[in-house]
Amino acid sequence: MADVDGARAALVATPDGFDLARAGEQTVDAGRLAAMVSSLSALGDAASRETQIGQPRCLVIDSSDGRLVVRSMQFRGEPLIVVLLTDTAALLGMVLNALNAADRQLSNA
Amino acid sequence: MKDHKIVFTGTPGAGKTTAIAALSDVPPVTTDVRNSDPGLAKEHTTVGLDFGQVDLGDGQMVRLFGTPGQMRFEFMWRILAKDALGLVVLIDNSRPDPLADLTTYLDAYKDVLPSMNAVIGVGRTLECPLPTLDDFTDLLNARNLVLPVLAVDVRQRDDVLMLVDVVLAQAETRTRACSHQMSTVLIWCEQALETNLASTIAQTSLATSSSWPTR
Repeated sequence: MADVDGARAALVATPDGFDLARAGEQTVDAGRLAAMVSSLSALGDAASRETQIGQPRCLVIDSSDGRLVVRSMQFRGEPLIVVLLTDTAALLGMVLNALNAADRQLSNA
Repeated sequence: MKDHKIVFTGTPGAGKTTAIAALSDVPPVTTDVRNSDPGLAKEHTTVGLDFGQVDLGDGQMVRLFGTPGQMRFEFMWRILAKDALGLVVLIDNSRPDPLADLTTYLDAYKDVLPSMNAVIGVGRTLECPLPTLDDFTDLLNARNLVLPVLAVDVRQRDDVLMLVDVVLAQAETRTRACSHQMSTVLIWCEQALETNLASTIAQTSLATSSSWPTR
């Protein structure tokens, strides 16, 4: 989060919708957000399968007052979902770069 | 071709994904992931939605949507119920408190249930005969709801088809009742209009004749 200007909160969730860790703003209901990104991620998987475009890496919800970037990762063979909530000042490229770096760190841990 | 949307909801493990797979003409879209909840004795669980469709062969296509069962996915219950023709609530009678399970879904859909076609399908009634179907009906009656309660095995296509047929039959009955009411209202309107017209014409004639200049 520290590497991204405009990052408001980060969340790590299981694919079946439980929150494992959170950082940043506490105004977000982590349990509820974990369930929602689990659904979004699974829908992304289904849409990718249906359109035969391979394994989805990232979902971006680009809204008027900010972005929600959802990224699938692996930690010791276990799938995880990492979410970054940002305001509009955050550059999408920086967010994706930070999430890629986090993915590499988790994969090598 | 009439196109209907029917939503399958209910407790985790009640067989929503199985029911849709049993009835769908096409390979269903699923969003199952590995379950990490030790309190839920199943390997995979739905976290987004299930989708299938069935051509009933009489000019009716039914799109089947399944919700996740767990309460934390309650936001999906409401999203999926939007514009649905009907709701199938599946209850697993082998769970600790099936009546409380039904209450959860009746509460969640309380705003739409009075006007929505719905049926309750209770599974695993042979292994777990209690509560009885009458107990479920009593629970519904206590909430002023009159909904069919059926014992089902969602692995059986015919059982799932029966649930869909019940929803469609309810919808047809409502449409007929509505069209009967509309006919009654139209007849009443026509009569009122005729009476009113006659009265208006009479009044206009009087007014016109009285306002004519006299020589």
